[in-house]
Amino acid sequence: MSISKLLVANRGEIAARVLRTARAQGLATAVLRHTFEQEGPAHLIADEVVTIEGPTPVAAYLDILQIVEAAKRIGADAVHPGYGFLSENAGFVAALEQAGITFVGPTSQVIDLMGDKVRARAFVEERGFPVAPSAIEDDDPASFVERARAVDYPLLIKPSAGGGGKGMRVVREDRTLETEIETARREGERYFGDGRLFVERYIERPRHIEVQVMGDVQGNVVHFWERECSIQRRFQKIIEETPSPALSPEQRLNICETAAGIARAANYRGAGTVEFIYAPDGAFYFLEMNTRLQVEHPVTEMVTGFDLVAEQLRIAAGEGLSVSQADIPQIGHSIELRICAEDAAADFRPAIGDILLLDEPAGDGVRVDSGILAGGKVTTDFDPMLSKLIIYGADRAEAIARARQAVRNYVILGVTTNTGYLDAILAHPRFASGDVSTGFLAEEAETLTTPGDDVSDLLMAAAALSDERLVAEVMQIPAMHRKMGGWRN
Amino acid sequence: MRRIFQVGGVEAECWLIHDGSRFILNTPDGAVPCQLDATGEPGGHVLRARGVVQELRLAVGPDSTFVHLNGRAYEIGRVDPARRLAGSDGGAADDRIVAPMPGVVVSVAFKPGDAVKEGQPLLVIESMKLETTLSAPRDGVIAEMPFAAGDSFGLKAVLAQLAPEEK
Repeated sequence: MSISKLLVANRGEIAARVLRTARAQGLATAVLRHTFEQEGPAHLIADEVVTIEGPTPVAAYLDILQIVEAAKRIGADAVHPGYGFLSENAGFVAALEQAGITFVGPTSQVIDLMGDKVRARAFVEERGFPVAPSAIEDDDPASFVERARAVDYPLLIKPSAGGGGKGMRVVREDRTLETEIETARREGERYFGDGRLFVERYIERPRHIEVQVMGDVQGNVVHFWERECSIQRRFQKIIEETPSPALSPEQRLNICETAAGIARAANYRGAGTVEFIYAPDGAFYFLEMNTRLQVEHPVTEMVTGFDLVAEQLRIAAGEGLSVSQADIPQIGHSIELRICAEDAAADFRPAIGDILLLDEPAGDGVRVDSGILAGGKVTTDFDPMLSKLIIYGADRAEAIARARQAVRNYVILGVTTNTGYLDAILAHPRFASGDVSTGFLAEEAETLTTPGDDVSDLLMAAAALSDERLVAEVMQIPAMHRKMGGWRN
Repeated sequence: MRRIFQVGGVEAECWLIHDGSRFILNTPDGAVPCQLDATGEPGGHVLRARGVVQELRLAVGPDSTFVHLNGRAYEIGRVDPARRLAGSDGGAADDRIVAPMPGVVVSVAFKPGDAVKEGQPLLVIESMKLETTLSAPRDGVIAEMPFAAGDSFGLKAVLAQLAPEEK
């Protein structure tokens, strides 16, 4: 079942990152490109670029039939889905299976199980792993309110079919419970066409800590330690790091072994991530399992020294994991910054533009996984994440210092990005002390978007003197008038 | 020469002059003698202004100049006062379909010269992964349809314009 030709069914930085490892392993490689899409780094790395079509670029990347046909046509014997798009689509896995093409990822059964929040939660709970106290409406709709009340406050109401934070409501007082349930139900119906709900005990000031796991067909499951992902805006991570500054060595081992246990119980194959809510008192609860390679996987690679994509390819080819648990170290500290085309001061509104100048930082402990090229255009066709800046340091303080220097030296001109905002987070005393929760960015919104020193006169001078037409006009004015200073036309 | 610059949402009217030996930018906050010299690296410059020597990276776009200075990136909008006046007769507000968000055009239903009825879908756009249909605000004739399927547009871009109503 060895792999000789790999199609990467993705784009941007993750396609480039997967292709680099595949090429290094001597595989023939191919990647997709939509007819409207700009050339990116992935297209320069792959041996072959396969054009896909669709009413919108996103629709094309979700078109199972077209992508499976493309894989067959070019003779690919394996497909790596990256993250997003079809990476957690059981139908895609089944279609590839039918075509005799290897999917680099878990089985469709596991994808199905973990894709259903309520089922995944029940699976984990039944096997004795920690989940937050909860009540699920479907178990017995008539007693739902009563059972919700018994979970005790504060409560978090979630749509069963939900995701991305939509329709979630926090309830702190009993008198608002029933009206909040009805509001959440309407939101669930509006966003997901499904009004079924469940409630969980709401954890105040939670951290988001996740564990990288990997399993092979031989039944071995290992973890590659944790990642702390509490720095989020709009329920999306923008800074991740490992190790988590919150965990003691005992807590770390406990949470990582719990994650490996969940993966083992699910007969997990390939790379996956078990996400937990971590409470200030040290308790942690299963949140969900992502059955794919995560955006933030590079921080794990930096501290363990393993190439997770290489391990994925080994496992997909039926070979066992290259390591056992005892051989997976966690040395030093790594931080990832997601560089996004967005305006942090305007509620993170996506920005577009032409990349007029691009100069990526380099140096000790600096890795850039980029999806953009100088001269390219940033559009809203895709996610606003342009690239990832991944930093390694001997300890957290060194990693933060290097990250600040690197993000300040990351030159992207022509489109608004969040580099200044990321620098402000890194410079914040609460970040430095590790005293954060998932509410950190919202709590500190004002401090983080405060403009720095007023340099507008310098900026205007630079804009004026680099305006060739303006300078030419000024220099044509006769010398006599120049001396008069306030010359007007 | 007069220019209007926009920094951080604030507009400032400036005059650039050369007094025979140096450039002076007269800003609302005072006169800034200044000099800009290119260095070797792409977009690299040294700016001398208000007694400060500052290295920066710079790129000039069609409507804005982008500057990376002291670890931060800035956009400086350039408004040519002459063009601003010429462009002020851009038509009544209800003649224009303005982009509510940056996005990409999915499909276009009409071309310039076509007659449309109020409420008729003119074009479909995709912004933030959601498709939105934009319809004609009134009966009229399409004057401009500047974007084709697949084109990207920015916030507040004019996506369609109707010919002015005959009075």
